[in-house]
Amino acid sequence: MSTSLVARFGTSVVKKVAMGVTGLLLCGFLVSHLLGNFLIFVGADAFNLYAYTLTSNPLIYLAEAVLLSIFLVHLFMATKLVIENKKARPVPYYSKQPTGRGATIASSTMPYTGLVILIFLVLHLLHFKFGTNYDTTVDGVAMRDLYKTVIEYFKTPLNVAWYVIAMAALSMHVSHGFWSAFQSIGFNHPKYTPCIGTLSKVFAVLIFLGYSALPIFCFLQGGQS
Amino acid sequence: MSIKKLDGKVPAGPIKEKWDQYKFDMKLVNPANKRKFNIIVLGTGLAGASASATLAELGYNVKTFCIQDSPRRAHSIAAQGGVNAAKSYPNDGDSVWRLFYDTVKGGDYRAREANVYRLAQVSNNIIDQCAAQGVPFAREYGGTLSNRSFGGAQVSRTFYARGQTGQQLLLGAYSAMMKEVAKGKITSITRSEMVELVLVNGKARGVITRDIITGKFEKHAADAVLLCTGGYGNVYFLSTNAMTSNSSAAWKCYKKGAYFANPCYTQIHPTCIPVHGEGQSKLTLMSESLRNDGRVWVPKKKGDERKPADIPEDERDYYLETKYPSFGNLVPRDVASRNAKLVVDEKRGVGATGVAVYLDFRDAIKRDGKETIKAKYGNLFDMYNRITDADPYSEPMMIYPAVHYTMGGIWVDYNLQTSVPGLFALGEANFSDHGANRLGASALMQGLADGYFVVPYTLGNYLVTEKPEQESVTVDNKEFDDALKAAEAHFDKLMAVGGKRSVDSFHKALGLLMWEYVGMGRNEAGLKKGIEEIKKLRAEFWKDVKVTGTKEGINVELEKANRVADFLELGELMARDALERVESCGGHFREESQTEENEAKRDDENFCHVAAWEYAGDNSDPIRNIEELSFENVALTQRSYK
Amino acid sequence: MSSNNNMSLKLKVWRQENEKAKGQMVDYSLEDVSPDSSFLEMIDQLNEELVEKGDEPVAFDHDCREGICGMCSMMINGQAHGPESETTTCQLHMRKFKDGDTIAIEPWRAKAFPVHKDLMVDRSSFDAIIQAGGYVSVNTGNAQDANSILIPKTDADLAMDAAACIGCGACVASCKNASAMLFVSAKVSQLALLPQGKVEAEQRVLNMVDKMDELGFGNCTNEAECEASCPKAISISNIARLNREFLSAAVKSRH
Repeated sequence: MSTSLVARFGTSVVKKVAMGVTGLLLCGFLVSHLLGNFLIFVGADAFNLYAYTLTSNPLIYLAEAVLLSIFLVHLFMATKLVIENKKARPVPYYSKQPTGRGATIASSTMPYTGLVILIFLVLHLLHFKFGTNYDTTVDGVAMRDLYKTVIEYFKTPLNVAWYVIAMAALSMHVSHGFWSAFQSIGFNHPKYTPCIGTLSKVFAVLIFLGYSALPIFCFLQGGQS
Repeated sequence: MSIKKLDGKVPAGPIKEKWDQYKFDMKLVNPANKRKFNIIVLGTGLAGASASATLAELGYNVKTFCIQDSPRRAHSIAAQGGVNAAKSYPNDGDSVWRLFYDTVKGGDYRAREANVYRLAQVSNNIIDQCAAQGVPFAREYGGTLSNRSFGGAQVSRTFYARGQTGQQLLLGAYSAMMKEVAKGKITSITRSEMVELVLVNGKARGVITRDIITGKFEKHAADAVLLCTGGYGNVYFLSTNAMTSNSSAAWKCYKKGAYFANPCYTQIHPTCIPVHGEGQSKLTLMSESLRNDGRVWVPKKKGDERKPADIPEDERDYYLETKYPSFGNLVPRDVASRNAKLVVDEKRGVGATGVAVYLDFRDAIKRDGKETIKAKYGNLFDMYNRITDADPYSEPMMIYPAVHYTMGGIWVDYNLQTSVPGLFALGEANFSDHGANRLGASALMQGLADGYFVVPYTLGNYLVTEKPEQESVTVDNKEFDDALKAAEAHFDKLMAVGGKRSVDSFHKALGLLMWEYVGMGRNEAGLKKGIEEIKKLRAEFWKDVKVTGTKEGINVELEKANRVADFLELGELMARDALERVESCGGHFREESQTEENEAKRDDENFCHVAAWEYAGDNSDPIRNIEELSFENVALTQRSYK
Repeated sequence: MSSNNNMSLKLKVWRQENEKAKGQMVDYSLEDVSPDSSFLEMIDQLNEELVEKGDEPVAFDHDCREGICGMCSMMINGQAHGPESETTTCQLHMRKFKDGDTIAIEPWRAKAFPVHKDLMVDRSSFDAIIQAGGYVSVNTGNAQDANSILIPKTDADLAMDAAACIGCGACVASCKNASAMLFVSAKVSQLALLPQGKVEAEQRVLNMVDKMDELGFGNCTNEAECEASCPKAISISNIARLNREFLSAAVKSRH
C-alpha cells in the first residue's frame, strides 16, 4: 500500500487539513470580495468599473475555476465528514449536553451554518452574477450596470433580512473555522493560539459588519440608482 | 502428612555473586526452540505485563489474561509514589548494598536475603529499561532524572512521574506488551478470569478460564503458567485495592498444591481517607509524603466533640511526636497505623464516626505560607477536598489506616517457582521480597524486577531441565476436561444456593471480621474467635447467598460470589497464620509480643522462618510448612524509631 | 452514618441485555443516598436493591475507584463522567446533585465502542490503536543508562502531560463525532516529544491514525469537548501536534 500524502487523502487528518486550507483560502476570498464590494459606498461608477475590470480580464475564468475548486473541495470534504461522523455514532444519546467548557454554538453548528452559506451562495450568484443585466457607460466604456441590479435587489426588506441572516451564519462559521484551520494544519502554540482565537472572533465580527453594511446601505438608497 | 522444611533453592556463593553466577549456570533455551514453548501469564499488572513482553521478545508464545477490558488497567496503575533504584544519581551514599540492607531491615528480617539482594541489583536495570520505553520520569533542568526521598529513606533513591508513577510504569510495560501483540507473539485475552489450574503429571500445564462477557469456560494449555494476579487485600472488603482485585487465581493454585506463605503479613497504610459510611466501597490512599509537613494529633480528652479549631494547643495530643521524638510524624507505616488505632480504641478518635485522626497543616502553612504548601501538596489537597468536601487549608485533614498491600502470597523459591513445578508467581502475588513489611516505592520495583529481569531467565532454566514439551499435552487431555467440569460445577453450586443475602453483604461481613480480629492488632483469643466466626460466615454463605441472573452472559454477581467464596477460605488461613506466629513483626502485630513501649517484638528464636501453608483438603486443617531464614549479611536488630 | 441530608433520586438507566439486544432507558427511584457517596457507590446502592428484589443489577465498568484505571465510563445527564471538570465517574460525589434530581445514565456511545451490556462497552479498539504503534520498540535489556538520554525538563513535562491519559474513552464519548483524536494524539505526543520515541515517530503516527480511521472513529472538528470532558485535562494542543507529525511524516515517508 502506498503511503504517500495523496494516497492518504482519505485519512481523517488529511481531510481536516483540506478543510482548513480551503477554508483559509475562502477567508481570503471573503476579504478581497468585501473590499471590492465596499466600492458600492463610493458610487455606482466606481463599483461598476471594478466589476467590469474584474470580469473583462481573461484570467477571471482561471480565477473562478480555482475558487470553484477550492469551494468544491471544502464542500465535498464537509459532506464526507458529516456523513462519516454520523456513522461513527450509530446509536444516538438519550440526552447529550455540552460541557460548556469546549464546544461553542458556532463550533457545533458548522454543518448547518455551512448549509445556509451554500444556499445563500447559489441564490447570490443567481441574483447578481446571473441576475438582470442592465447596461451603463462609464467613461465612455459600455459595461454592465451591476450597481443597479444590486440596489434593486435590496429594495425588498426581506432580501436584506435574508442577506444579513446569511452573513450572521457566515460569521459564525468563520469564527470557528478560522482558528480551527490553524489547529488542523498543526499550528498550536501556547503563545500564539490564544491570539489566533481572538483574531478569529474579530475577523468574524468584521466580516459580519462589513457584509451586512452593504445591503443595509443599499436599502437606505431606497432603490435609487 | 508432616511438616516439611522447604528449600528456597538459593544458589551457593557470596551474596553479591549469587545471581550473576546463577545466571551463568542456568541452562539456556536455544533461540529456535523458544517458539515451541507456550506460556500462560495470568494478570497484566507490572509483573504480568513486563514478563509477557519480555518472554515474547525472547521468542516464546505468550497468552495473557486479564480481568479488565484492557491490560492497561491492572491496579499497579494506582501506585502513586515512585519506584526505588540504587542508582545513587544524587551522590548521597546509596548503593545496591544499602538498598538491599534497607529492604531487609524494613521487612523486619522476614525476607529471603538472596532474593532481596537480587532485587536491589536489578533495580537499576528497571530504571534504564523504563526510561528507554519512554516513561516520562520527572527530570531536573539539566535533563537528568530527578530523585526524591520517600517513605522515610535516608537517601533519595525514588524515581517518579508526578503522582502517577505506577501508571506510567504500567503503561510502559503495557506498550511493550502491545508491541508483541502486534507481532503476534502475545495473545491478549481480556475480561477473562482464571477459575482453575490444570496439572498434568504434577506439573502446571494450563488453566481453565471463564469469559466474563459470554460466561463460557475455556481450556488453555501451556508449558508453564505465571501467576501475576496481585495481592489479596480485598479480603477486608474495604482496602485501597481495586474492586476486582482478588485472590481467586492464587487460591485455586493453593488448592492445587501451591503453598501459601505468610498470609498474615498485611500492610495497613496510615494515611487513607476515613470511611464515610456503610455505602463505602473502597478506600483512597493519600500520599505518605503528607506526613512530611502534616502533624498527626487527636484531642487529649475522650469523646471531645469540639471542632478542631476550638481545641486549644495544650489539649491536643501530638502522639507520634511525643512518643517518637526523633522520627516524629515520619515513623514507618506500621508504627503510624498502629498508633492511630491505639488512640481510636481509647475513644479519642475524631470525625463523625470517631474512627479517624487529624493530620494538621496549620503549622506548616503558618511556617511556609499557603502558597508553598499548595505547590507541594495542591493536587492531594484537591483530591481530599473532592472526596470529603472539606478544605484542608482551613481545617485539619482526617485520616485513618487502611489495608493497602499484602506481603504474604504464594510461596516461591529463588527461581520464583512455586511448589507446583511449572507454576511461577510474580509481583505481589508471591510472598515476595518484602518480608513482613514493605517499604514505600518498593512494590513497583519488585513487580518489574520479577517480570523483566528474573523470570525470563529462571523460566528458561525450568523449560530446559524439565522438558515439558516432550509430554505433548493439549487441551484435549483428560485433565483439562476434569478441571473444566470442576470449575463449572463450582459456579453451578454458587448459582444453586438460591438464598436471600447478597454477595456484597457477605463480603462486608467478612471484611468487618477480618478488620476486627485479623487487623492491626491481633491476639490469641481474638484470632480464635475470628476463625470460628469466619467458619460460621462461610457456612452461612453456602446456605444463604443469593446470586441473581444466569450462568450465561455477563453476571457480575456470579463473578463476585466466586471471589467471596475464596476470600472466606483465605480469611481463615490468614487468621490461622496470625495465630501460629506468636511474635510481632512488620505488618503483623501480636499484642502478646510487644515491648514495654508497645513496639513490635520479634521472636527470632522461634519465628525466623517463612510459614508456607499447604492445602490438605476441605475437611482437614492446612499444614504449616517452614522455610528457615538465615541472615548471613545483615545482622538482626530490633527496629527503633525513638 | 446516615444523615438528614440524604437524597432521593430518580434514575433513568440504560438497560441492554447484550450486544445484540435492543436497549432502553429504565426508570428507578432511589432513596436515602448519602451525599458523601461517590457516583458509583450510588449505583452500588441501586444494585443492592435490585439484587434484593431478585432483579439483575446494572452492569457497569469500574475498578480502581480512585480515578486512574480508566475503567469507569458513564454518560451522566448527557455529559461524559458527569458535570465536574477533570473528574472520573468514580471521583464524582453525590453532593454535586440535589435531592429530587433526575439523573440519566447511559453508556459511551460510538461505533467503535459497542455496548456489551447495560453501561459496559467494549473499548478494545483503543488497545488496537496502541498496537499499531503506541510504543518504543526497545526490548528488555536493550537500554543504556537512563541518564545517558538527557531530556529538557519542559519536554519531559509536556510528555508527562500527554502520558497522563487513562484511556477511559470520555473524549470519544463526548465528541459529537465520536472521534478518538485526543486519545491517539496523547500517545503520539508523549512519544514524539521524547528522544526515545523520535526514532520511529514517523511510522508511528501514520500507522496509529490509519488504525484509528479503520476502526470507525469519527473525524475531529476541533470543538474541544474532548479536552473539556477529559478527566486528566489532556490538551487539544496534542491534536495539533499529531496533525503536524502526521503531515510531515506523510510528506517525508519514502513509500
